[in-house]
Amino acid sequence: MDEFAQVRAQFPILKQQIHGQPLIYLDSAATAQKPQCVIDAESHFYEYENAGVHRGTHELAARATDAFDQARSKVAALVGAQYGDGLEEIIVTGGATAGLNLLAAALSYASQGRGGSAAQQFAIREGDEIVVSEAEHHSVLLPFQELSYRTGAKLRWFQLDQEGRIRSDTAEQVITERTKIVAITHISNVTGAVTDIAPIVRRAHEVGAFVVLDACQSVPHIPVDFHALDVDFAVWSAHKMYGPTGVGFLYGKRALLEALPPASFGGSMVELAFMDRPAQYMAPPARFEAGTQPVAQMVAAATAAEWLSEIGLSRIVTHEKVLSQEMLKLGGIEGIRILGPSTGSGRIGTVAFDVDGVHPHDVGQFVDARGIGIRVGHHCAQPVHRHFGLYSSSRASIGVYNTIDDVDKLLNAVSDVRSFFRV
Amino acid sequence: MVEDFGMGEQELQEMYQEVILDASKHPHGKIVSGADSSLETVSIGAHGGITLTSGHEACKTAQSQQFNPTCGDTATVYVEVSSGSNGNSYRIERIAWDGQGCSISQASLSIMVDLVQGQTVDKAMALAQDFQLLMHSRGVGLDDNQANDDLGDAIVFQGVSRYPMRIKCALLGWEGMKASIAQAMTQFETADVPAVKSQK
Repeated sequence: MDEFAQVRAQFPILKQQIHGQPLIYLDSAATAQKPQCVIDAESHFYEYENAGVHRGTHELAARATDAFDQARSKVAALVGAQYGDGLEEIIVTGGATAGLNLLAAALSYASQGRGGSAAQQFAIREGDEIVVSEAEHHSVLLPFQELSYRTGAKLRWFQLDQEGRIRSDTAEQVITERTKIVAITHISNVTGAVTDIAPIVRRAHEVGAFVVLDACQSVPHIPVDFHALDVDFAVWSAHKMYGPTGVGFLYGKRALLEALPPASFGGSMVELAFMDRPAQYMAPPARFEAGTQPVAQMVAAATAAEWLSEIGLSRIVTHEKVLSQEMLKLGGIEGIRILGPSTGSGRIGTVAFDVDGVHPHDVGQFVDARGIGIRVGHHCAQPVHRHFGLYSSSRASIGVYNTIDDVDKLLNAVSDVRSFFRV
Repeated sequence: MVEDFGMGEQELQEMYQEVILDASKHPHGKIVSGADSSLETVSIGAHGGITLTSGHEACKTAQSQQFNPTCGDTATVYVEVSSGSNGNSYRIERIAWDGQGCSISQASLSIMVDLVQGQTVDKAMALAQDFQLLMHSRGVGLDDNQANDDLGDAIVFQGVSRYPMRIKCALLGWEGMKASIAQAMTQFETADVPAVKSQK
């Protein structure tokens, strides 16, 4: 058994049959399946360690707190973030969407004067600019578009080239002296294209703007080091990196997190609370983690992070590259158009495509009959579809467990779609 | 052990029956820009906007746009309803639609047009009710022979009703018909036509 056959064998869900055929899961960009060790980690926590964290002095509370804190460090290590008492750069959130909304809200509060003088560096005023791209998932576009409406800032965006790549070469023009925030995807969940973010980060920092990176699609597929990328903030979710749902992460450079005001309020994030004057809030990460956290999920997410590191992201890149190349043969089938780069360089194996004359829902239903699960619709990214003159598409996306055989079965099925629907 | 919402090749054929594939490829009642002489009072504006102009004073026209946010499918249903004066029932004189979508939504619109064109409003609404029940039958169908007869070709969507993600596709056009008729009826109510009021 080769190495990735052993990886695949760790996923119990993939062992089932769908309508009498082996399940072929090609929807990892929506959510990845979970290896047994991740499933076991969550169960183990509930069986032996479950308790409230950072409060209580009983044995279980100590175990749970220790597991939660260690989990944060393991997740940080995966993405090159700092960890250790007083150094943490990872905030636990309910997911990537929750992280983006938390950050946008904190920036909004800073703009209203909350957080004192240290937070004024984040203040966005009328006439300032917020920059996104046409390729953004709605979870990036909408929180920052709303932030622009609340603050009176102007929303600008990077356009896409013919293959759907973000035009990083236009950074000098799109990012101006008035730009305060640049929120951009690392890898599009539609085109699969990896954004060349270096020119964007360089230009943003030149004008004093902060860069927010949507790393949801990159962390599970390529090595990611936030310090090396020099982004100021980043988000991603556990469930796309083979971890559980319900937990995600907001990364921030430590100095920035220390200056950022809280945006979600409640228990476990405040040092002193009064009736007649403002509270004194805790240092990060606690300042941003109001209320009971998804502890069991966080512990399992850390197991997923360690598991990914053990396989090695560079080996995952090599494995998935072969599959991506095979998947791109979709573009050679008559009537099929790939929405995104047609060659394997600078992209991952998330491939959206249009089947001429057949609606994506019908495509999805047709391939499902052969046990193949793909995504159909607009994938929560309507503007990028508009760029291609479409409203929706079909999307196949690979994960560590996929094989050449999986991809070939998809190619076969897609080849038969148009004749079935009499196109 | 696990409920199976998916389908094998056999179920695929059951969902996409010949009637559905035919209707989706050659839909009835679909407005094709400048091509349909039977709908000469349907005019397509400069920006693609369509208006249905009533042919008779005693008729009201209305339209309703329906949208499926998960796939972006749209259907705008246009109706012309004749008044129920002189003891007649309100009747769908004309029905047409415009939009784009999957084979299920397109076929459902086409079959709906065949079923309700020229029918009384009461009958069309009863059919809509039967069809809705069919689509919520989880593949079982209706235990009502009269309703099954009335639904005619629309009965082929029984297979679709097994799949929660596709029910909205089949219902899209019917929702448009119900909403546009409701609008037309509102116009009768507000148009101060004594004969109409006496019908209520």
